Amino acid sequence: MDERDFFGEEKGQVFKKVPKFVIVLVFLGAVAIYFATGLFVVGPAEVGLVKIFGKHTSTATPGLNYHLPFPIGSVVVVNTASLRKEEIGFETVAPGRYITVERESLMLTGDNNIVSVELVVQYYVSEPEKYAFGVIPDTDIIKFTSEAILREEVAAGTMDAVLTVERDTISARVAERIQMEFDFMDIGLQIQNVYMQEVSPPRQIIAAFDDVNNARQDRTKFTNDAERYRNDVVPRARGEAASITRAAEAYAAQKVLAATGETERFLNMLREYETAPEITRTRLYLEMLDNVLSNSTKTVVTGAEGLIRFLDLTPEERGH
Amino acid sequence: MMKLLITALVVFVVVLIMLSSFLFTVDETEQVVVQRFGEIRRVITEPGLYFKQPFIENVTRFDRRIQLYDIPTERIYTMDKKTLLVDTYAMWRIEDAELFVMTMRTVNNALTRIDDVVYSNVRNVFGKVDFDDIISEKRSELLETVTDQARAEVKQFGIDLVSVRVKRADLPDENREAVFERMRSERIREAGLIRAEGEREATEIRAEADKEAQLIIAEATKQAQILRGQGDADSLTIFASAYSQDPEFFEFLKRMEVYETSLIDSVFVLTPEMEFIERFLSDN
Repeated sequence: MDERDFFGEEKGQVFKKVPKFVIVLVFLGAVAIYFATGLFVVGPAEVGLVKIFGKHTSTATPGLNYHLPFPIGSVVVVNTASLRKEEIGFETVAPGRYITVERESLMLTGDNNIVSVELVVQYYVSEPEKYAFGVIPDTDIIKFTSEAILREEVAAGTMDAVLTVERDTISARVAERIQMEFDFMDIGLQIQNVYMQEVSPPRQIIAAFDDVNNARQDRTKFTNDAERYRNDVVPRARGEAASITRAAEAYAAQKVLAATGETERFLNMLREYETAPEITRTRLYLEMLDNVLSNSTKTVVTGAEGLIRFLDLTPEERGH
Repeated sequence: MMKLLITALVVFVVVLIMLSSFLFTVDETEQVVVQRFGEIRRVITEPGLYFKQPFIENVTRFDRRIQLYDIPTERIYTMDKKTLLVDTYAMWRIEDAELFVMTMRTVNNALTRIDDVVYSNVRNVFGKVDFDDIISEKRSELLETVTDQARAEVKQFGIDLVSVRVKRADLPDENREAVFERMRSERIREAGLIRAEGEREATEIRAEADKEAQLIIAEATKQAQILRGQGDADSLTIFASAYSQDPEFFEFLKRMEVYETSLIDSVFVLTPEMEFIERFLSDN
């Protein structure tokens, strides 16, 4: 009990001891703080939409600004320069790291195939009043609109076209149509860019698509091998052909040379013969006879009887 | 001094409380319905500061902005008996707050109603066309029909249906697998075709090369025969022109040659009747 009294006395004393000017200061401070609720900063590339009793009355430019204190005035600050982004088919989990969101990325093409498309929509606020007072913050309107339009455009093309030539056409069409939708809703947004990121066959069947590319490589390899074979076989044949031709040329030349040599010899002999025909004839004849007889076995028989004996022919062989 | 300050503070607070009971603000994003015991007195769509009778009038605030309603995915059967999972969403706004309060009362009721209306229209419109029409550029047209019909139906509730769109139109999982399987087999077929085409080209090139090589050899062989023939003919001409100068001597020479080559190493029986021997004998 004593202790409580002691404290009560102490409190009362402290309150009474505070000088009056301090209390006035505190009061003025409170009033100042109240009026300071009207201070606000608008950063570069931002605008401040000042409202009085909920009604938009003026627009503040970058710098330190003031509106009437709470609850009379309020401000909505909108960034008009920064690019806002919607990702379709993937999510950025950290700078430079992405994960595919298959639920969004897989879509049907006009020829009843399925492709995986990832899209980025970049936009900015072009009319801050319309955006601030027309769009509920953190709404999915922009994402849903982009996704729906992208799917419609992909469904209008064939898979091959979407995967190759029509990529750019599709992103341009999507950009144009999202802008039309923004304009129709009148929400003060402007499309900056629509980028097709990854456009690919679905993960489940990418191996089969890769195999088509491999097949193209194989095809080139096959024809290259065949070309190499051609480059080997044809020059070889040309070489062989040259050798055949050269051999024939050699044969012909040799034939002519041989004939020339032989006839030259004949003509020389003819010339000699013409100067003394009888002598030459006899000489040639005797030379031949000499050559033949000197290289033959010879038997000289002096009478016909001797010949018979010499040959030792049996009576049967004589015929009679 | 102290007392004066405290009195001022109390008065200020009391005045604020009193003011708030007969003053209210309407924001740029809002519209307000003022009711007296449930009876609609006024609808305010312009932002600003407004009076109301304290305690007997109360205000209900509604959003004036476009609202998004993500309708749950529905299974739809097309005219050609195919199944499609359709994920739609609707964008709407409260156009006539008075009508809205009278018919819907709350936003939740409105969402249920939008769901019903959109669902039945999507079913109706998509159910009367083939699968391929939904998966094609016709989809936009179909959706416009859905939007128009649904818009007309919800107009009586003070709701403006801005648009209805299909966020996704997917095949059920089992059909999707079938599509993957078909796509896979198409690619395998294409790859096979490309490889076969490559082999055909390679075989053609090889055959072409073989043919070229054979023709080169054949051409050379032909040329060779011509050359050989030419050589033979030339040599014959040379012989003929030489020997024709004295055919008799040529014959003699040839005969000598023949004797020499054919009679050498023979056995000769020489008789005295032969001139050659007779002379030999008489010479001696």
